[in-house]
Amino acid sequence: MTAESALRETSVRSSLSDRLNPIVVKELRQAVQSRFVIAALMTLLAIQLVAIGIYLLTSGDSLLNFDAGRGVFLMLFSILQGVSMLFVPLYTAVRLAAERSDTNVDLLFITTIKPRSIVAGKMTAAVVLTVLIFSACMPFMAFTYFLRGIDLPSIFISLALGFIVVIACAQAAVFVACLPVNRAFKVIFGIIGLVLFGMVYFATMAGVSGLIVGGIGSRIGASDFWQGAVILLVVIGSLTGLFFVLSVSLIMPLASNRALPVRLYVTAAWLLIGAAALIYSEVEDNHVPVTVWQVMFNLAFAVALFVAVSERDRLGRRVLRAVPQSPVKRAWSFFFFSGAASGLAWAAAMIGLTLAMTWLWAELYPSRNGAGDLVGSAKWLGGMCLYFFCYALSGALLRRHLLNRVGAGLTWLIGAILLSLGSIVPVLFGYLIFFGDQWWSEDHGKWLVGNPFAWSNKSHRVFYASVAGVWAVMAAALSLRWFIARVKSFKPLNARTGSLAEDDDE
Amino acid sequence: MKVEVVNLKKHFGATRAVDDVSFAFSSGQVVGFVGPNGAGKTTTMRILATLDEPTAGDALIDGASVVEEPERARHLVGYVPDSLPTHRDMSVHDYLDFFARAYSLKGTHREQIVASVEEFTNLAGIRDKMLVALSKGMKQRVSLARALLHDPPVLIMDEPAAGLDPRARVELRELLRVLSSQGKAILISSHILTELAEICHAAVIIEHGRLLMAGAMGDLLTNNVPQRTVLIRVLGRHEELYRELLQTPGVEKANLIGEEVAAEINGTEEACYDLLAALVQRGYRIIEFKQQRANLEEIFMTVTKGAVQ
Repeated sequence: MTAESALRETSVRSSLSDRLNPIVVKELRQAVQSRFVIAALMTLLAIQLVAIGIYLLTSGDSLLNFDAGRGVFLMLFSILQGVSMLFVPLYTAVRLAAERSDTNVDLLFITTIKPRSIVAGKMTAAVVLTVLIFSACMPFMAFTYFLRGIDLPSIFISLALGFIVVIACAQAAVFVACLPVNRAFKVIFGIIGLVLFGMVYFATMAGVSGLIVGGIGSRIGASDFWQGAVILLVVIGSLTGLFFVLSVSLIMPLASNRALPVRLYVTAAWLLIGAAALIYSEVEDNHVPVTVWQVMFNLAFAVALFVAVSERDRLGRRVLRAVPQSPVKRAWSFFFFSGAASGLAWAAAMIGLTLAMTWLWAELYPSRNGAGDLVGSAKWLGGMCLYFFCYALSGALLRRHLLNRVGAGLTWLIGAILLSLGSIVPVLFGYLIFFGDQWWSEDHGKWLVGNPFAWSNKSHRVFYASVAGVWAVMAAALSLRWFIARVKSFKPLNARTGSLAEDDDE
Repeated sequence: MKVEVVNLKKHFGATRAVDDVSFAFSSGQVVGFVGPNGAGKTTTMRILATLDEPTAGDALIDGASVVEEPERARHLVGYVPDSLPTHRDMSVHDYLDFFARAYSLKGTHREQIVASVEEFTNLAGIRDKMLVALSKGMKQRVSLARALLHDPPVLIMDEPAAGLDPRARVELRELLRVLSSQGKAILISSHILTELAEICHAAVIIEHGRLLMAGAMGDLLTNNVPQRTVLIRVLGRHEELYRELLQTPGVEKANLIGEEVAAEINGTEEACYDLLAALVQRGYRIIEFKQQRANLEEIFMTVTKGAVQ
């Protein structure tokens, strides 16, 4: 190698290094120096080697069967998937949680790094780590092909599925690490996450076993296979994306428009998945895709109502800098700014739009397959969202007027307590006073009023809807002055005078 | 380069962490930021570092508002928090290189900057040491080195001397002197007031989030004390002087210490001058008349009540 080419190589390497996200460089340097990572990788390889050795030594004549490769692959895959799903998310999340507990993340905010780059850097490092683990195990996996009973597409597609699941789990773990709760709560959420990961692991193993036994190579040309694959990818991709924007939003400084990435993402996903569902419904002549879309998003928006009321009540001056001057743009952007009023308006508008779109679709194609389910699910979800709206708004009213020592961040808890009381107290009261020895009859269903999930009881739906409707109107009327004040104060910084009167709740 | 804090307020619910605080300092000045625990020092410093947003008021770093132009303001500030770097599996050099990358420094320029900062903070010899293996003093130097990477004209340092041994404190003091001579404006909070008095050109004292006193160190030490102590030495007649001083209006207290008389006087420096003139007029042969300057600790104890919010 000449001096000139060596210099050129150094310059290319340096330029490449400069382009990398600093978080990725840091994470990978730390991973290389970490004994934990090296030990985990070596242990995994040793386990795989021992497992394959024991299998080969103990199987005897069964190796002559045509399914030996399949058996060995599933055994190796279960080890790889189990270790990766435990190690990669845990390693990524614990590092992030530890860094978030001191001022390190704060220090990053005063550099040129954006919160998005921090999460993206952590995830890229997780991807690299997963690639490292998967590639180290690849020779063992490829070896199973020579034992027969498994084709190469099955091996690679199974590994790809396993890889995607590990990355999705790592993103979910990063989200838990970003939650602004104390260590005890993080451990609780971590345990819940581990249980969920266990369920995902068994589901992945079941899916991969099914695919391997059927043989992917023979199905790879069928449209059904690709339809399923695309749906699975969209679901996993959407959830991973949601966890990503939620994580970014959680680590953004308090004095920023933290709602923007999440609301933009959910609105875009609602639009794209909605359009895909409508097209799919048209092609298949079936309402099921639209039903799934409306149920999925109405559930998400119902939860968003509780999140919205827990946001800060007034916007900081830094956030107000970004409010557009133009009244038209300002009206649109109101829905995408942090703040309880904006959040409520966005979630309510999205619920309204989802129900309106569902109703329109059902009216356009009343005789299509699944029309009954579409209308039924829309009524159920519509009622549930109405109750969620009532509870969230009542929680916010209570906090503002009676429990004003409680921080805005805990409004969701007040709403959740109200929801629990509203679901339990009426039916308990009815049971103690009126049910008598007939503990349950159809007529007693009216005591389920207040329970947002009781809409399957068709004979009392009008009653439930009337109560929820009156309650929603009352709660909205009582909140109207507050809401109008927030809309009026939604002005760009230079259009305002004086300081912000409201104290920071966070 | 001027740093101006203008009617700064920061409220957390009912707690007024910072309440209408205003002060200013400029290039080459080291300003001590003094107050009891919970006085609002860290909150003010975090606002200056653009990490928190004020409820009202503003802070201007070379004219850049931390509220309206935080992106510009934060490039002008190097912030050293009260906590130290705790990254596992990371060497001193990797840590500094990471932050240099985070400040968008590229290629050989980055390498040069990191090397020069390591040299300046005396970290070059331990650049490959793991952060977890460092002493508190070393970590504090790493923290300072990180804050200097983008060559900010303003340094905000929150309790940098806390927990340091005497040698590390002396080294830190020397570093601050050099930085100040390089024209950096430095705001430094510390509980070690004697040390602050040695290196600071000015001081700001706050309590309950309110500004109690601010100004040049010399002014604070001379103008803001209700009582002054003067040491007087005369040729002969020192017992007579002592008795006379006890009866002199304006003299609060007098002590005879050997051949010296220490007198506590109520009032300004003019009162000292008046006393000296009167003693000369009465024929005392004064060979020494020295005003004992109050120290920052005494001023702090006088103006603060020691209450925590």
